[in-house]
Amino acid sequence: MAQINITFQDINEAGKALKLVTFNGQLDETNVDTEAQQIYKIIEEMHEPNLLFDFAGLEYMNSKSIGYVTDWYTKVMTKNGKIVIARPRANILDILKVVGITQIVNIYDNLDEAKAVFSAKPAVSNK
Amino acid sequence: MDGLNTTIVKYPEEQSVLNKTNVIANDTENPVRITIILPTNAYFMAGIRDFTMTVVQNMTGFSEQWAFRFQSVVDELTNNAIEFGSAPGKDIKISFVSKKGKYIEVYVEDSGTGSMKKTAAEMQTFVEKQRQMDPTKITSIRGRGLSQIVANWTDSLEFRDNEQGGITVHVVKYLERGEQF
Repeated sequence: MAQINITFQDINEAGKALKLVTFNGQLDETNVDTEAQQIYKIIEEMHEPNLLFDFAGLEYMNSKSIGYVTDWYTKVMTKNGKIVIARPRANILDILKVVGITQIVNIYDNLDEAKAVFSAKPAVSNK
Repeated sequence: MDGLNTTIVKYPEEQSVLNKTNVIANDTENPVRITIILPTNAYFMAGIRDFTMTVVQNMTGFSEQWAFRFQSVVDELTNNAIEFGSAPGKDIKISFVSKKGKYIEVYVEDSGTGSMKKTAAEMQTFVEKQRQMDPTKITSIRGRGLSQIVANWTDSLEFRDNEQGGITVHVVKYLERGEQF
């Protein structure tokens, strides 16, 4: 059976509260339905859910895990929040690309760059 | 992998899995077949993924990137058989066939005893329908495994009804320039 450990840490990034979610292990059919509920709970609790997923320790994710990421993304967006993925391994980035998630969710190979996305001010339009 | 039966066959004679390195080293003409029979239980999937990595890295000539990709392909096919094709307590058969430096084939056969079993035609229709969709517009949690991951990472994906019930999913990936170690 696959093992996964998901931890949560509150971070203040330039005045913006965000949650660093760290994944270590493998997400597959045996654990993803249970583990996904932790993320749903966090999204539910946060007024403006800003989630930074650190995938450096994530060794494997199956298609259902990716489905959950898209579902979390949809729920977060409806609350004006944001999901950013940082430091995916090559095989994880590969599978995220093949299902098109890289076109939806911002992905960075550096944790500081990923954090900075949350504090970035939206571009001002002159129109 | 307790609970699993593994055989390796270099036609026409049967070999032990422990001999696979010798088999490949001495004979690159004949394809090698390894078959695993496992109970319908996702518990075994982590072991199957490890085994897939070993097979692809040591017996096919494909790169590490493709070994990871085939972990996903086999995982998705087998999970599909567990969810739809075979009832708990029944078996699922996974076969790897490889001619080193040429191709790898995977067959995943379910027993057709699952409560949500589907025919080969139904599976084919489902995959074709999903393939028509913009992957970024798929909002459901399920529906990416066969149509996005398996279909994109193989050269051939086909479904066949078995005489005894159930279906066999067959995929082939040919080794092309730039994909080898």
